[in-house]
Amino acid sequence: MTNRPPSLTSTWSPAMPARGADQAAAWWMLAPALAFTLVFALYPVVDSFVLSLHRIFLGVPALGQPFVGLDNYAVLAADPVARQAFLVTLAFVLLTTVLELLLGLGIALVIHERFSGRGWVRAAALIPWSIPTVVASQMWRYIFNDQYGLANLFLFGDEVARYVPWLAYPGFAFLAIVLADVWKTSSFAGLLILAGLQVIPDDVYDAAKIDGASTWQRFWRITLPLLSPALLLALLFRTMDAFRVFDLVFVMTQGGPGGATQVLQFYGYKALFTEGRMGYGAAISFTVFLAIFLLSLLYIKAMGSKVLQKEAA
Amino acid sequence: MNRLPLWILGLAAILWGLAASAQDHAGTRTALSPDPIVLRFVSWKPDHPQAWNEAIARFTQAHPHISIVREIAPHSSTAYHDLLTQKLKNQDPTVDLFFMDVIWAPEFAAAGWALPLDDLFAPSERARFLPATVEAGTYDGRPFGVPSRIDVGMLYYRQDLLQRYGLTPPQTWEELVRQADLILKGEATTHPLLRGYSGQFKQYEGLVCNMLEFIGSRGGQLLDEERRRSTLATPETLASVQFVRDQMIHRLATRAALTYQEPESLSIFIQGHAVFHRNWPYAWEIANRSTRSAITGKVGVAPLPRFAGGSSTSALGGWLYGISAYSRHPKEAWEFIAFLSSQEMQKFFAIRAGLAPSRSALFTDPEVLAANPQFQDQVAVFQAAAPRPRTPVYPAVSHVLQRYFSRALAFTGLDLEAEAASADRQINRLLQLTEPRA
Amino acid sequence: MTRRILLGLGILLTVVGSLFPFFWFVITSFKSQQEVEAIPPTWLPSGGVGFYRSALVEYHLVDYILNSVVVAGATTLIALAVGIPAAYALARLKLPGKTWIMGGLLSVSMFPQVAIAGPVWQILEGLGGLNTRWGLLLPYITLTLPLVIWILASFFKELPEELEEAARVDGCGVFQTMIRVMVPLAAPGIFTAAILTFIYAWNEFFFALLILTQPEKQTLPVGIALFQGEFSMPWGELAAASVIATLPLVILVICFQRWIVSGLSAGAVKG
Repeated sequence: MTNRPPSLTSTWSPAMPARGADQAAAWWMLAPALAFTLVFALYPVVDSFVLSLHRIFLGVPALGQPFVGLDNYAVLAADPVARQAFLVTLAFVLLTTVLELLLGLGIALVIHERFSGRGWVRAAALIPWSIPTVVASQMWRYIFNDQYGLANLFLFGDEVARYVPWLAYPGFAFLAIVLADVWKTSSFAGLLILAGLQVIPDDVYDAAKIDGASTWQRFWRITLPLLSPALLLALLFRTMDAFRVFDLVFVMTQGGPGGATQVLQFYGYKALFTEGRMGYGAAISFTVFLAIFLLSLLYIKAMGSKVLQKEAA
Repeated sequence: MNRLPLWILGLAAILWGLAASAQDHAGTRTALSPDPIVLRFVSWKPDHPQAWNEAIARFTQAHPHISIVREIAPHSSTAYHDLLTQKLKNQDPTVDLFFMDVIWAPEFAAAGWALPLDDLFAPSERARFLPATVEAGTYDGRPFGVPSRIDVGMLYYRQDLLQRYGLTPPQTWEELVRQADLILKGEATTHPLLRGYSGQFKQYEGLVCNMLEFIGSRGGQLLDEERRRSTLATPETLASVQFVRDQMIHRLATRAALTYQEPESLSIFIQGHAVFHRNWPYAWEIANRSTRSAITGKVGVAPLPRFAGGSSTSALGGWLYGISAYSRHPKEAWEFIAFLSSQEMQKFFAIRAGLAPSRSALFTDPEVLAANPQFQDQVAVFQAAAPRPRTPVYPAVSHVLQRYFSRALAFTGLDLEAEAASADRQINRLLQLTEPRA
Repeated sequence: MTRRILLGLGILLTVVGSLFPFFWFVITSFKSQQEVEAIPPTWLPSGGVGFYRSALVEYHLVDYILNSVVVAGATTLIALAVGIPAAYALARLKLPGKTWIMGGLLSVSMFPQVAIAGPVWQILEGLGGLNTRWGLLLPYITLTLPLVIWILASFFKELPEELEEAARVDGCGVFQTMIRVMVPLAAPGIFTAAILTFIYAWNEFFFALLILTQPEKQTLPVGIALFQGEFSMPWGELAAASVIATLPLVILVICFQRWIVSGLSAGAVKG
């Protein structure tokens, strides 16, 4: 039970007797999806792992492709660039998920209310999410431009001498990427949270009102606890996505300055596709995969126990 | 299910699109077969598009069965490299010839991406080019690239400003700092946006060139004499890096330089917002073109300064013509390269676009010198240009260098010595791992 | 009363925060070259549609748009064709090890692109799929399947079983039942899945960057990421191109926001 993915608590089972022909049909219906997944997702991950056990320099074919066991992983553990990339990624994941959940909760609470023009507000909130990440990245890069940027115009107006080259500061460049991500995806988190809000029955609130609970109390005592499965789901989605950030870094900073925005997936891309270190690059990318996988298991476990509690109650 | 017809319509449209694109492909293939041949040439967006259009028109006039399609790659050498190598890994048959940066020849040769040009680029012909540029295109004794031009770092300065303060072009970096300080102080009220220095310090390949010049002009190096060990943690190198951090980034060039490549830094200079500017020879023509530049006629050029006790060092840059190993038309590609790198065309590019020729003879050509006073008396600079490390794993080595330099410049209060030692270890490991076993 | 003020504030922040940054890009796209390079930046644009013209003509934006339409459209259709039966089988039919299969299929949604990019690239190289639009479709379909299956399975599960039984009694096979009875009922879910898949494929950058290196085959995100000019960043053209690239999605979102919200909610509520 505990290992189930989130949406699989299938309490429904077909009333019909299972016939052999049905089962065969079911397999046929699944086959194409399974084939795609096996060939273009599962096999590549396994192959990446195998690749990561070899030393391969694309630019030096004379070296061959010797098997080196876990050597690449040992190097990775001691690699200061990887360590920085790991810390940058971790900070990015933590900061963006927390901010996005908070803002997403705010957006969800707003568009859950009934007011005229709600559809337009909802559409407005969804627009950043629908904008291609590459476009959003160019846009924020322009906003943080040292000469023509909106950020400088807002903060300093006509005092051009005080204009700040935001993307030249390691800390600001990192925050710029965080901000761009938060802007783009908070509304998605908001949608998932909204779904949770919508299933909270009104009578729970009515009962609380009769008991004299204030709006604030109702939010803390009722809304938040009942919302926790949706929040966890949003957290899961956002964490997985934040771990895989690439477009923003590619367009806005290329990992600079000083590696302050170099995230793991970008480092893996560099090693694999521009340095031609296939084995080492595979080790980096497989590590990213493992990190996401383990984290997701942890979340799903947490969610599974929540679902169980609900069922027991 | 009244939505069904719409779906079918959509499906039909998409399938038609895919089919059409397949047909496109077939179409070009038949078009390619005997006549006319389409050569695809990967280059950056040229700084002088008219000159290039004219050169290509001249070639196609003489070779009516060949047409040239230019494919534009990013301006940054690092991004350009990523794109071009991805094409070559994709064995993209529509790449026939390309520009390669002087540092890529070993990688392209070892990986089998560039055709060897032994017979085509004959030794007698090679002798007419500046030796350093030919050497850059050679790997294991075989030529893989033909030098299109030579690039070296040069110091551009605002002649009008220097004159106003009674100064002559600086000989040393320390002098450059003093002059810039003096001018900035004097101009502070009338021109608050003026900066002392404009160079390329973003985390990319150009950063390595800029830093190599500071390091070399104090007598330091990136690799030791045998080119086997990285020498970032030596006192000369550390002192140069520290100088750039304290005097350039945190003072004259401002921190914004950490986000600049060539176009951004040149843009600052031609808008009149910088006293000194480091760039390649092509900048001269742009800085004096009245449609783009606010400082035409006010620009001077000199060799890069040195540190007291060192000698001026310019990074060797420039671009080589190479032929893709996957080209279907290597013969025609060579004809095009032979045309572009001929004495006549190099002279054309020197006069029209301010590109420094790679053929030695052109440096004494009066017409070339008339159009490019910046070449005058600087043959020595061109001949002494300092190459970057030559190894097939240069991209990986360069990434370590870029990251180290960028960190050293961007993070204040960094333990430079420890950081340099760590970068040394990473580079040494790469060099040692990829050394072909005896 | 405070509640109403809070709500008003929330609405204001949501709308302004969401739209204003992009609005700045829209303004930029209508500026003239002088206004784009003005320090400090100006507010009112006066350049007309000059940047749109040069973005479309000189930067070949039309090609990129066509490629994106074909790739995103085909991804959507094929992902649905593959995903609908799979979701149906998982939601309504008896199968041994169903949760494991579902888990396996859904787990793909958390794979980092870089972890599969190398081998996927090699497979495509073997198939001759590099620099082709169909080559790009294969990973796109794979990566959007989890989303399609997730949304549709939750829709199928909600449907009443009586209709299905009736169809079966009438002698319909499993497949016929799905097509004739269940798919029309799940149309809202299918529609949502289609929109989300389309948006994914329209916006994807990583695989497009690796697989398509010929400019006339590249999709919009690659075109916009590699945008560059002669001397400096052509911010005006870039802004115009960005507005064009975003317009179809904005229209989709404004028209179908209700479907997107309800579809995602339906999937999420099962959590």
